[in-house]
Amino acid sequence: MARWLGLALAIVLWEILARLNAGSFVIAGPIAVADYIYMNTGLLGRALGATFQAAVWGFLWGNLAACCLACLVVLFPRTERVVNVFALLVFCLPLVATGPILRVLYGPGAGPQITLAALAVYYTSYLALLVGLRAVPQSWMDLVQSYGRGSVTTLLQIRLRASVPYLIAALQIGAPVAFLGAMVGEFTGAERGLGVLTLRAMRGLDVDATWAIASIATAVSVLAFQVFGRLGDWLQTDRPTLLLSAAQTKNGPAAWQRVLTAAAIALLVVVVWQVLMDVFGLNRFFAKRPADVWTYLISGSNATAARETLFAALGQTLWLTFPGYFAGLLLGAGLAAAVVILPGVAAAILPVAVALRSVPIITTAPLIVLALGRGSLGTITIVAVMIFFPTLVACLQGLRQTPGQVHELFQTYAASRLRLLRLAQIPAMLPAFFAAARMAVPAALLAATTTEWLATGTGIGNLMALTASTSDYNMLWSAVVVLALIAMVFYMAVEVVEQKVLAVYASEQVRR
Amino acid sequence: MTRFTNLTRRSFLGSGAVAFGAASLGWRPAHAQATVNFQLSWLHSVQFGGSYIAQSKGYWDEAGLSVSLSPGGPNAPVEPPVVSGTALMGISAADYTAAAVEQGAPFKILAVAMQNNPFAIASLAKNPVLEPKDLIGKKIGMAVANTPVLQALCTINDIDINGIEIVPTQYDAAPLVSGQVDCLLSWATDLPVAMTLQGVENETMLMADYGYAVHSQTYIATEDSLKNRRDELVALLKGEVRGWNDYYADTDAAAALTVEMFPDAGLDLPTQKLQAERQVPLMFSDLTQEQGFGWFTDDTIAANIQTLGLLGREVSADLWDRSLLEEVHG
Amino acid sequence: MTRRDIECVDLAKTYESPSGQVDAVAPLTTTFTEGQTTAVVGPSGCGKSTILRMIAGLEAPSSGTLAIGAETPLALARRGALSMAFQDASLLPWRSVEGNVALGLKLARKPAAPEHVRKLIHMVGLAGFERSRPAELSGGMRQRAAIARCLVSEPELLLLDEPFAAVDALTRKRLNQELPRLWRDLGTTTLLVTHSVQEAVMLSDRILVLSARPACVVADLVTGSDAVSAQVEQALQEAA
Repeated sequence: MARWLGLALAIVLWEILARLNAGSFVIAGPIAVADYIYMNTGLLGRALGATFQAAVWGFLWGNLAACCLACLVVLFPRTERVVNVFALLVFCLPLVATGPILRVLYGPGAGPQITLAALAVYYTSYLALLVGLRAVPQSWMDLVQSYGRGSVTTLLQIRLRASVPYLIAALQIGAPVAFLGAMVGEFTGAERGLGVLTLRAMRGLDVDATWAIASIATAVSVLAFQVFGRLGDWLQTDRPTLLLSAAQTKNGPAAWQRVLTAAAIALLVVVVWQVLMDVFGLNRFFAKRPADVWTYLISGSNATAARETLFAALGQTLWLTFPGYFAGLLLGAGLAAAVVILPGVAAAILPVAVALRSVPIITTAPLIVLALGRGSLGTITIVAVMIFFPTLVACLQGLRQTPGQVHELFQTYAASRLRLLRLAQIPAMLPAFFAAARMAVPAALLAATTTEWLATGTGIGNLMALTASTSDYNMLWSAVVVLALIAMVFYMAVEVVEQKVLAVYASEQVRR
Repeated sequence: MTRFTNLTRRSFLGSGAVAFGAASLGWRPAHAQATVNFQLSWLHSVQFGGSYIAQSKGYWDEAGLSVSLSPGGPNAPVEPPVVSGTALMGISAADYTAAAVEQGAPFKILAVAMQNNPFAIASLAKNPVLEPKDLIGKKIGMAVANTPVLQALCTINDIDINGIEIVPTQYDAAPLVSGQVDCLLSWATDLPVAMTLQGVENETMLMADYGYAVHSQTYIATEDSLKNRRDELVALLKGEVRGWNDYYADTDAAAALTVEMFPDAGLDLPTQKLQAERQVPLMFSDLTQEQGFGWFTDDTIAANIQTLGLLGREVSADLWDRSLLEEVHG
Repeated sequence: MTRRDIECVDLAKTYESPSGQVDAVAPLTTTFTEGQTTAVVGPSGCGKSTILRMIAGLEAPSSGTLAIGAETPLALARRGALSMAFQDASLLPWRSVEGNVALGLKLARKPAAPEHVRKLIHMVGLAGFERSRPAELSGGMRQRAAIARCLVSEPELLLLDEPFAAVDALTRKRLNQELPRLWRDLGTTTLLVTHSVQEAVMLSDRILVLSARPACVVADLVTGSDAVSAQVEQALQEAA
């Protein structure tokens, strides 16, 4: 009942907002949207079909890749470093760099859309699954070991089952993201789809159409979100158990070993980059090799100037990224806590949250800019909006991981929801929260660069967008490399904090 | 199943994993295919009306050429597919092409569809920008990437660019209509058309009328293609010229054909008709009446070189190659 | 009703399960007198724990009434006057032994008392393990930490669900001597679910013997005489 009331209220508010802003060509109300959908059912239906199909395939491939990577890492823990680095790097690649490459590789068709949808989902799924596969009590592992069975048995008999709630959360995060990925993928030159229609509608000043498409994208994503939520409820009949796992007496690798590992991974990245480009026969004009970037940034005659431009832009970008990152994390975790304390809020918050993550930012950015301006508030908000959704979903799932016994213990003292949240649920949420904090690192950088392209015209985002008209692919790839390095450093910093915190709160997550 | 493009048509196989497998087994984006790819610079619309006419009336078929028209998009630059040979010919603009050549792409401009650059300053009728000096003190919404364009206009017309406030916006008329900016840097043929059809009275000031001479919607191909696939290029251009001549004769028909050919593109007939109409003065001039569609002269090249210089692009007349056009019209 | 007795009138619990209704506890009418310790014994799975959980307010009775003095279990819990020890210790894995015991005070809304916490840790024989985490302890040690957590808030009502199952015999013996003294001093009403007849006899004033499911009282005995042990054994055999 409260849910429907909330929805009705939201729709009325939306209509009022639209009427107040009539003539601004930025927002259309639900009545206009419904009318547009009714009048253009065929067109929208066909476009939805095309985008949906690409999103579904991308979603499947992306999650399959995530499962394979996560299982690989659990079976062979030594591969974790390398897999993490490559997973992060691939996720860091911006659309400006991948778009042309994918289009050249695939030619016409849905290939780029599917790939971009898959790329959009695999990373969050991988990180969430990895946490899930490790959320296993030590005693269960000991049980399997006592029968002399190895890590494969552990994976099949114990870890897979334990990862289910985390997988569900990943699927919930992934569904809208895949849809968005497929839509944005159409920007690489597709014949049809909702992304194509969005571009057309925005340029045609057809606000009704823009909002109709956004509404459809949201509806599909909310539906997928709910379906996976139900699936999760259905699969998880037993309550989460207490995870008692002995703290690791950490004798980590020595400093020189770390440096050596880092160097080896860096070398591997460079080799893989070069080999991939060569194997695919990608033209050096737009698919730069490591040596090109080296020449451009380090050894070339104009390297100093290039570096200056790049680092000045980087400064602007980071200034936008950090506040947006923390604001987004805080918002996500805060909303998750709010939902736990006031469960009625969930019905109102989640559809909006899903909407913000399933509608291309080119649709939502103008509205945010109109409301908050092009100053730091508006731009940081856009970044925060783009990363808070995965955090919210991950944290909600994490809060639900609070063991049943702990709930009962608190119940016998008639402890308040707030107290349960503070003393039991938040600590239980920490692994999921840190996974979200890690996945938000590249997401925040991508969000910041997108914002720069759309709203501020500064920073690395602008530099990269420039390449569309200037063919300055050297600058583009240098920017990609620098962004990837920043993401890596930032990621590792989050990881250090995470390992310290989780050593206390969830030692089963700490890398062995 | 041996060809990459066939493989990818199947959405099932359209994944990175399979593509990787396919490519690592030695399948490459093939250019020896029966169909010739022609890379357009944007989504399907009457902007490419002449090409659609050539396609539907079979002008290319007559020349023994099967042409596939690939739409562009915000993240689909034209240059990479043309450089890689995935597309035989592409639609670019002189400034884009010049930049790509500077970066080492072996492009030539073969013909020019838009004699006059379509860049314009769009403003509302109640606060109009009718000539460059009206820009002073105004807020202009544009992609910051286009600053050199505005700078060039200012230099040519002796205006201090610092007197204009640049507001970074998306390519969208909403900021103008909602009053966030006073004017927009846009094409004369899209955002102003949208505003007109939405009942927003507006004015456009075509930059080409104030000395901004940059060939737009230019046909580009690589030197390699010019050498080895000349016949196909000539046939392609010949079809284009015939298509665009038909377009000139009846723009409404071109608009209707566009809407009919691309039912999924979300096009509406009134918009396409108005756009088709407004394109005519950009594409057809006394010069094209005399010499034929797509023509350019040493004089127009010289004017381009001068404006490109203002945009920071040093180019020589070698960038243009008229030999194919001479063959087409000859 | 001036005393804080626990009055159960026709208290019953039935569960819905896929295979139909399961009667866990048959209507139970009894009074647990304030300050007394009552042991509840009976065959495994007979519904002993369910009775405890109903009194703790963790489960609502299907029928019947339950009152603790003039209060409900919830009201008692809100005053911080109730604590329960679970079969598994239910310690928070991220808190040390000390932290977990202190949690008992915090949850009961009582001021922190580090000295008191330490004293109890000593009493349950965990001296030296104050800083250890639950994962580093044996099962019996965890149970002892949980007992300390229960006692630290000095509750009026103490519910113990097989708290000594994993505790070693020696410690168990010591605890069996010390605990009754402690809760007699405090005037605590204690309900103890146990499997061990010997323990029931040692710790309690009264022993309730339950039948197999659905649980109903087959014997209600007062401890004190030497014959009680034999009587309980006898009743248990009949119940099975």
